[in-house]
Amino acid sequence: MNTTDERIRFDVIVVGAGLAGSAAAMVAARAGLDVALIERGQKPGGKNYFGGAIYTHAIAELLPDFMSRRPPFERPVTEAGFWFLGADGLTRVTVQGGKLADGTPDAYTTLRAPFDLWWAEQAQKEGAFLIPKTTVVDFIREPDGQVVGVKTDRPQGELYAPVVIICEGVNNLLTQKLGLSEHDLEPAHLALGIKQVIALPPETINARFGLPDGDHGLAASVLGNVSLGLPGMGFVYTNSKTLSVGLGVMLATLAEYKLKPYEVLERYLKHPAIAPLVAGGQLLEYGGHLIPEGGYHDMPKLYTGGALVAGDAAAMVNALHWEGTNMAIIAGKLAGETALEAHGRSDFSQRVMAGYAERLKQSFILQDLKQYRRFSQFLDTHPEFMDIYPTFLNDALGDFFTAYGRPKKELFKGILGSLTRRRSLLGAAGDLISMGRAVLGW
Amino acid sequence: MKRNDGFEAKELPAALRETLPDVYVDDLLVSIKYFIDEEHPHLWIEDHAICARCQYKPCLDFCPVNVYTLAHDGKIQVAYQACVECGSCRVGCPYGNISWQLPRGGYGVAYKFG
Repeated sequence: MNTTDERIRFDVIVVGAGLAGSAAAMVAARAGLDVALIERGQKPGGKNYFGGAIYTHAIAELLPDFMSRRPPFERPVTEAGFWFLGADGLTRVTVQGGKLADGTPDAYTTLRAPFDLWWAEQAQKEGAFLIPKTTVVDFIREPDGQVVGVKTDRPQGELYAPVVIICEGVNNLLTQKLGLSEHDLEPAHLALGIKQVIALPPETINARFGLPDGDHGLAASVLGNVSLGLPGMGFVYTNSKTLSVGLGVMLATLAEYKLKPYEVLERYLKHPAIAPLVAGGQLLEYGGHLIPEGGYHDMPKLYTGGALVAGDAAAMVNALHWEGTNMAIIAGKLAGETALEAHGRSDFSQRVMAGYAERLKQSFILQDLKQYRRFSQFLDTHPEFMDIYPTFLNDALGDFFTAYGRPKKELFKGILGSLTRRRSLLGAAGDLISMGRAVLGW
Repeated sequence: MKRNDGFEAKELPAALRETLPDVYVDDLLVSIKYFIDEEHPHLWIEDHAICARCQYKPCLDFCPVNVYTLAHDGKIQVAYQACVECGSCRVGCPYGNISWQLPRGGYGVAYKFG
């Protein structure tokens, strides 16, 4: 029997039907390639968990008419910003109106199970062949290392294609198997994000968050008394009939301080400024996911002969701006385009695959990741941004707006003293400069 | 017994630790949908002797769904059925002593909302 005749062949195999994978499949299938989109879950989206919001610029690059395809968005983000939690107070620094109210919303709050399913359906509409409930366990390689297919956990589950696009997510076992990454990401570079999806009537959500109606939504990053003064951040997103409330703490921090993440989350939900927002809500779902926050320095090699890596598997996350979903989508698109080019030239060698890295360099993805390359280390070494400054901000504003019946001069001295007791002015100035450097990439 | 070079046990001030509420994890787990693979666990301890000598046992804490608990005999037991496949234990075990695989296709956590 000639086994080569029985081989199941595609032009492109995409591993993982998440944001990057379905984007890659959409682009390649639209151009007429035979695409297998392999998903280990019962259906796309079942393994994915995030804050969060989806950015429309990325969706529109693949589907200019996306709104007419009825994406399962929750609410447009019409208010965004930072919340600073003190011991029992809350200072909100959010923006609304202006650009956020202008034209197509920049982002929508979203839940991943319905969204990723819809996103994969768009790839299927272009002709991609979805293979769910199938875990890819290894590659099929030529003696020279060229990737020519994948091995799955199905009986006789070997699939062949000259291009394999790896969108396996943060647990990048396959990326490591190819030698594109030499070791696991370190616990100090991984945030464990956990979240509760809490049901509340839409009118209650509107009233509690000051939103006029269901066409308005909030996305907030919560700093301060969230993560016990340790590197971490909370978040609140208003969905249509639910809230997404959670936090991310570095895995190394949880391990070294022996913290139970669900206790940290429960403490945050019980904070005097947060508890009234979630009161009476029903827990619909709890879950967790790792976020690769190491950025540029944690990126694997992005290609090898016959294979490309995109999304979380390639550590494409900008931790400060909570961007990652948009990078995954655009990287998936660029991977799909590289697969097309390779098919056009009938050349699947490293030389052509390298075009993917070039495309990423021309895009915001590698430019931003490079600029923010020091940011996660900055947070690690400057926990005061999680603790001292947000607390100071609450105390200072609280004092400023309180009439004590004392001379203001004394008051301002007191406010400044509440900072300098915790951090010297010189130290604070240094912190600001470090933050500037970490953000601007100097 | 190789240890993660970066691992360093640290103390949280007692007053701060006291602010952490007790959580009954099962109340959270009932909200998660799973397709449990009864025949094939995808997580296990490689060598219980290493755990016995591990003074940190951070897996008992950082796992978001409390998969790892201490049995009466002092052995770590692994309730893989509750796993949400986040991968924390894969990289967080200071001794790399947890064997971590993806569940077979179709099995494991199946988020309804995400």
